[in-house]
Amino acid sequence: MIMIPAAGGTMQPAVGLIANPASGKDIRRLIAHGSVFDNNEKANIIRRVLQALDAFGVKQVLAMPDLYGLVLRALEDTQVGLRVEFVNISVTNTAADSRLAAAVMAQAGVRCIVTVGGDGTNRVVAQGCGDVPLVPISTGTNNVFPSLVESTLAGMAAAAVACDVEPVWDRAVRQARRLEIVRGNTLVETALVDVVVYDERFVATRAIWDADKMRALFLTAPYRGTIGASAIAAYLPQAEEVARDAAGLYVELGPGGTHVMAPIAPGLIVPVSVRVVHPLELEQTIPVTYAPSILALDGEREVPVPPGTSVGVRLSSHGPYVVDVQAALQAAVKAGFFIRKP
Amino acid sequence: MALSRETLLGLYEMMVKIRTFEERVAEIYYEGKQPVFNIAAGPVPGEMHLYSGQEAVAAGVCAHLRPDDPVTSTHRPHGHLIAKGVDLKRMMAEIFGKETGLCHGKGGHMHLFDPELHFGCGGIVGGGIPHAVGAALAIKKRGEDRVAVSFFGEGAANIGAFHESLNLAALWKLPAVFIVEDNLYAISVPKTASTAVRSNAERGAAYGIPAVQVDGQDVVAVYEAAGEAVERARRGEGPTLIEAVCYRFRGHFEGDPEHYLPEGTKEQWKQRDPIALLAKQLKDQGWLTDEDAQAIEERMTALIAEAEAFARESAYPPPEAALTDVFVQAESPREEQSHG
Ligand SMILES: Cc1ncc(C[n+]2csc(CCOP(=O)(O)OP(=O)(O)O)c2C)c(N)n1
Ligand SMILES: [Mg+2]
Repeated sequence: MIMIPAAGGTMQPAVGLIANPASGKDIRRLIAHGSVFDNNEKANIIRRVLQALDAFGVKQVLAMPDLYGLVLRALEDTQVGLRVEFVNISVTNTAADSRLAAAVMAQAGVRCIVTVGGDGTNRVVAQGCGDVPLVPISTGTNNVFPSLVESTLAGMAAAAVACDVEPVWDRAVRQARRLEIVRGNTLVETALVDVVVYDERFVATRAIWDADKMRALFLTAPYRGTIGASAIAAYLPQAEEVARDAAGLYVELGPGGTHVMAPIAPGLIVPVSVRVVHPLELEQTIPVTYAPSILALDGEREVPVPPGTSVGVRLSSHGPYVVDVQAALQAAVKAGFFIRKP
Repeated sequence: MALSRETLLGLYEMMVKIRTFEERVAEIYYEGKQPVFNIAAGPVPGEMHLYSGQEAVAAGVCAHLRPDDPVTSTHRPHGHLIAKGVDLKRMMAEIFGKETGLCHGKGGHMHLFDPELHFGCGGIVGGGIPHAVGAALAIKKRGEDRVAVSFFGEGAANIGAFHESLNLAALWKLPAVFIVEDNLYAISVPKTASTAVRSNAERGAAYGIPAVQVDGQDVVAVYEAAGEAVERARRGEGPTLIEAVCYRFRGHFEGDPEHYLPEGTKEQWKQRDPIALLAKQLKDQGWLTDEDAQAIEERMTALIAEAEAFARESAYPPPEAALTDVFVQAESPREEQSHG
């Protein structure tokens, strides 16, 4: 682990950076029309983040190492004064890297973590980052949690958070909810946006695209204008109504319900039959007894529920802290953060 | 795409078949080559490139193919041909250089051709890719619903023929599926030292070909992705590129000292042995017991022993056979001229 040297007794404003080299290449390019996000573009995104952090006073960046050397690539063609160091983890090129890197960064005292990836990337980062806020930058069209934001702006927002500009934290950082998968009393997994009970047994290519196999849907919040499984509720008037007084939603799917035309993947708009929309309260656990099945977390098949077993899905308030980029920029403008003496 | 018990047990059996075949060929290969390695000695002289570790790719893709779907392969072809459904006896006999082999003993392990299965391979890296595109063009011109598949390594994806092939397949919207088996190395050269892009799935975008990356150790993932790609091609929707991230468990060739491998990495990859990974998934679902697994292993071992016995007992081709199947015999002087 790399410790950030405390300069003059106080910590230098440092930012974490986690870029997932694997995102943006899954089967949604084949079964739907998902955008292709290549790693050169990801390196480009990282360059823009680094430039913004550098321009606004961030001195240190702690980055996750990866086999593809995304951040190293970005650095090759960038002139920045800030220091980039890599957290000392052994790279496995799996999601575990992101989780561990986030934990190490949080321990080292970074003020926020910029993530470059999709819902899946943020899901595992959130499992490691503790209460360090995330600045999620989306690398694709299939995401709900990270926003498709210009990374220069995300970098500027991250700088404002890292430099502790007065009202930024209050105005722009909120704690998200999460969905927890429990077996008995054991927490086995978490999701940030949605959990789908899917009538399949295997993780395979992870994505889910057959609406007829979706048996139930859990949502952390009434997301609006989204894509993916959460879209099933997003375009349904009943869901909007139930969501008004609820922390989350539990939606039963199956034949005989209301048909909503939902964009469950980019360009893939299909009718989904919604039977009942229930409110989901904080700390409420709903048992999933539909087995065999597999739970898709934030759009990726992840937790098999083999025959004869069951799991519970619980809505919790212990999600990650998240920076709203636009709100952070506005607050930073008010504080004069972007003004320099000529 | 149904991930049924029958399908997955079929994939499991196929992977065990390939692994057992490869590991037995390795043992046979070293006969007579020890204690001092002599590449010309033993029942199987010459180079030997084995496929152990990458079984999920061949099994997962070929499970969607019919005998009449053309497949081109590489210098590491055994897995692909076994998964395509070859007669193991004729394949083993070819590896031994025997008259009863697929090519009457003239091809050897790197040049296995099976016209019934529309299968070809060869030692020219990247050489099979344009062949598959040619086959796909023929399929399209004839209005058939066949699919041409080309397997090749990530090293081959840096050869010009790869790019020319993708270009034409995209331009003509051909029923072709390109499978890049990214096992991280071309002989001793790591991909990162030879390739400007980090993933070959990204190269599809340049040609407007849908491209996906899959976990090449997970046969279910390969099977699912390949199924979508093959069906797309059969429906006339054009080519697909699949990058399967995998690892070879043996050297580039037998006798490779593998000094280029960072310490511990092979052991790490072996933790994700594709056969063990599937076995675990099947056991979790109650679809496979230890006894079932043992029975499959024994059955495959027996099958390969039979193929080996057939190969050993078969005769070498007579010396005069060197001149047969080499030149086409022209039927008329005119035809001869037109060949001229
Ligand atoms: C045109 C050509 N160049 C070089 C070689 C020598 N050669 C044989 S195998 C190989 C590496 C191929 O690597 P890759 O395509 O990744 O396949 P893998 O061996 O990893 O399966 C090379 C360079 C060759 N046979 N043909
Ligand atoms: Mg290779």
